[in-house]
Amino acid sequence: MRTVKLFLLVVGILGIALAAASWDRPAAGAQESKASGGSDRLVVQLCDGETKLEIADARAGEVLPPEKAREVARRMMAAYAEQQAKQVSKWTARDRLTWEREQKRVIEEGYKLFHDWKALGGTIGISCDMCHPDAAATHPETYPKFQTQLKRVATLRDMINWCIENPMKGKPLPPDDPRMIALEAYITSTRKGVPLEPGKH
Amino acid sequence: MWPLKWKTREREYRRQREEFFEAVKRLNRREFMKIAGLSAAVFTAKQIVPPHSFQVVDVVRADPQEKPLFRFAYISDTHLYERELNERFVNAALRAVRDVNALDPPPDFVLFGGDLAQLGQPKELELGKQILSELKVPVKMMVGEHDWFLDMGEKWRELFGPENYSFDHKGVHFIVLMSVNEKDFWTERKMTPMERMLTVAQLDNPIQSRFEVGEEGREWLRRDLARVSKDTPIIIFSHSPLYKYYRPWNFWTEDAEAIHEMLFPFRSVTVIHGHTHQLLTHRIQNIHFHGMLSTAWPWPYAPEGLPKLTLPMERPDPFDEADGTGWGTVDVHRDGYVDKHYNLWSRNPITVAKAYLESWGKEAIPPAPEFPPY
Amino acid sequence: MNGGDMRRAKLLALGLIIVGFGLGLGGTRATSSVPQKFQIRIPLGIPADLWEMMIPADNPMTEAKVALGRDLYFDKRLSVDNTVSCATCHDPRFAFTDGKPVSEGVGGKKGARNAPTVLNAMFNEEQFWDGRVKTLEEQVLQPLINPVEMAMPSHEAVVAKVRGIPEYAQRFREVFGGPNPVTIENIAKAIAAFERTLLSGDSPFDHFMAGDPKAISEAAKRGWELFKGKARCITCHEFNPSSPFFTNFKYHNIGIGMKATRNFEALARQIQQMAQENRLTKEALDRLALTEGFSELGRFLVTRQPKDVGAFKTSPLRDIELTAPYMHDGSLKTLREVIDFYDKGGEPNPNLDGGIVKLNLTEQEKADLEEFLKSLTSDWVRRVARGEIKLAAGPTSGNPTPTVARDSRSSRR
Repeated sequence: MRTVKLFLLVVGILGIALAAASWDRPAAGAQESKASGGSDRLVVQLCDGETKLEIADARAGEVLPPEKAREVARRMMAAYAEQQAKQVSKWTARDRLTWEREQKRVIEEGYKLFHDWKALGGTIGISCDMCHPDAAATHPETYPKFQTQLKRVATLRDMINWCIENPMKGKPLPPDDPRMIALEAYITSTRKGVPLEPGKH
Repeated sequence: MWPLKWKTREREYRRQREEFFEAVKRLNRREFMKIAGLSAAVFTAKQIVPPHSFQVVDVVRADPQEKPLFRFAYISDTHLYERELNERFVNAALRAVRDVNALDPPPDFVLFGGDLAQLGQPKELELGKQILSELKVPVKMMVGEHDWFLDMGEKWRELFGPENYSFDHKGVHFIVLMSVNEKDFWTERKMTPMERMLTVAQLDNPIQSRFEVGEEGREWLRRDLARVSKDTPIIIFSHSPLYKYYRPWNFWTEDAEAIHEMLFPFRSVTVIHGHTHQLLTHRIQNIHFHGMLSTAWPWPYAPEGLPKLTLPMERPDPFDEADGTGWGTVDVHRDGYVDKHYNLWSRNPITVAKAYLESWGKEAIPPAPEFPPY
Repeated sequence: MNGGDMRRAKLLALGLIIVGFGLGLGGTRATSSVPQKFQIRIPLGIPADLWEMMIPADNPMTEAKVALGRDLYFDKRLSVDNTVSCATCHDPRFAFTDGKPVSEGVGGKKGARNAPTVLNAMFNEEQFWDGRVKTLEEQVLQPLINPVEMAMPSHEAVVAKVRGIPEYAQRFREVFGGPNPVTIENIAKAIAAFERTLLSGDSPFDHFMAGDPKAISEAAKRGWELFKGKARCITCHEFNPSSPFFTNFKYHNIGIGMKATRNFEALARQIQQMAQENRLTKEALDRLALTEGFSELGRFLVTRQPKDVGAFKTSPLRDIELTAPYMHDGSLKTLREVIDFYDKGGEPNPNLDGGIVKLNLTEQEKADLEEFLKSLTSDWVRRVARGEIKLAAGPTSGNPTPTVARDSRSSRR
């Protein structure tokens, strides 16, 4: 019921717009835009005050022939429906910015640790990157898996600690140590989107 | 196999299991046949290659090919810290020296392939010189980026002489080419010498420039090559691979094409390079390329760009600190092309024969890894 | 369910699997025309499916064959002067070893290697310290004719001698059939079949792993953690439920025997030379392996690869408390000596395995490790060693039922 009403409302507005156009005046609700790439294409705004549509082959101020105007109305209606299909989120763009910045910060911290044997408590000058440039041959996406050093199925954190203890001759980190999380974040970030191929790594 | 009507579920299971194991056996046999049945040259390649202490094999083996003209050995990428900080790399370098000294007959000389030091510090370089002085045969020194970028080669030149030089040995013209120059990335960043060194020492550091022989080096090479007839076999020692393998890790020489152009007119050219710490085989027209092992640690193979002729080594086991490392020998044939022996400490030695490269990988195929390297 | 109930439930489930397996085994022997039933109780900790998988298709298990093999195993008449049997060096009283540094054959002749246990030997990738043969059947053939072991002049002589013992003739006919059942292959098959019933599991540690926290001491638990971690044992002495044998079946140079001022290079050259001249037959190899000096080349004798000089098979650790002295040459007398040896990073030598490094264990840690090792002794093996369980009375004893781990604690609960 609600949809039908809205539909009528929108069509009504467009009807007015089209009628107005026939009087050789700028369409109601249409406005000139220089923002989108400096073009002067016709931009139509929906009555919700937010949804905008740029008409590719119409210049600002141009009057649309009836057939084209109907097509624009249909597309605006579809855009409006799409907006309505989304839930109202409590997460804002600002939240997302924070998430991304924090993750990036921890990954960068991990990158530093990965290249700094002293910061990880190594004692003989060997750092992670000396065997794993760009975290190569770490395969974080394949864990947990059987590890021949430990002779059991192990996690990435187990292996980070194995390397700290053995080649680097340091002391293992507690699993919740921020350095451990940072290392894991960096290592994992290098393999985002790499398909998992059991047996290959 | 049993007639179909006798099949019970258990028998079917047994049969399938047996077939599976048979298939495994067949696979192994076929692998063997593939390698063993190809040609006489293949036989040579698969034979036990003279590794460190057991040279008697070499003396008695029936070699269907021409006998090599001479042999030299190599030790490379020792990456020495001072002994107090890291004994492991020092011990590995000493082990290589001892193994080379045990070669019987001794090689004509030893190539040191660069990256003697880890951070180019005088004490590291001096320690390296001391270790290499234990070698019983002459040593030809080549510089690596780890030896260079703290003082831009000052200490190196003092200890070992110029970075570019050439010499002739038994009809082969050898060129030691400094190929790890970088464009100045440090001045505008106001880096200290140690910051510059640490930047270059970090393989995956994107700030640094790409390796190159550079204009001066190319000019030096041009003048050196001008003195040599086009029929003279040429062997070039270069720390960087002298071709383009993987840019992000400087497994790369930026002006490789310009160098190749200078080398194409020659009948036989071989490049022996360090830096990559892995089995690496490549050929561009008349130029054969061979990598060297490190005594310190193996690098993983780069995620892309591996030369097609390379049969990579299986991934090293980090529990065994010697795995994937070692040293090697090079048998030089009359025409200047070489059989390259990788003497891996924890594995069977691997030979990349001259015939393999000459046939573009069709003959004398070295053993392939069972598990992927990367 | 409280912890105890949970544990009982787990153990009960385990017991049922074993029984189910034992029953299911009959009729699946595809190589035999008559379905035969062979019942064996697999001790706790040893995967029953793996046991089944490791039985070769051409030597199926039958009770008569196992009984025949057992009698051959204990029969000294298989040696040239009727003084040495398999059991002389693989004696149940010492967990199927002999308690000596190196084994002694006929006339007290000494070999060069410490007798490895037969327990769980069926699970080995290869047999002997250097892995010079693959199967138990192949292994049996060598000591019979090695001059410092049973010293029979040839396999033909062994067959002739066994044929001449009347009580065996009938049993070989029953087990193997055919016009000519006494062959060297069938002798080997029978003994190997018996050896496949010599299983070690059901140790306090196995009960600990099965969920009984009180099965081993606190010291042993600390030792287990060290075993997996700081002491780096588990990488070679592999243990996990899929492969619970405390060995990776691989070969490593840890420096034992390398201390001697011996020219290994010259010895290795001789081996290369023999190989070039096709003189390295199985028999020649077997003799060299038990000859002082050559013996120390270890795995190199088989592969002739330099990396294998001085490398020997990782020893399994079950029942280790009962199998002193230790190492391939029996040169370490106690478990503590063994732990000390690894603690100092093995014996330095040109070919030392890259995984052998100094461990810096404390005295407490060493004691804990030793405690842990002592928790690996099978209850059944210990009772056999004490003489509480008899395996055989003699060659004609004729008890056809293999007595394997029959009183495992798992089945009692």
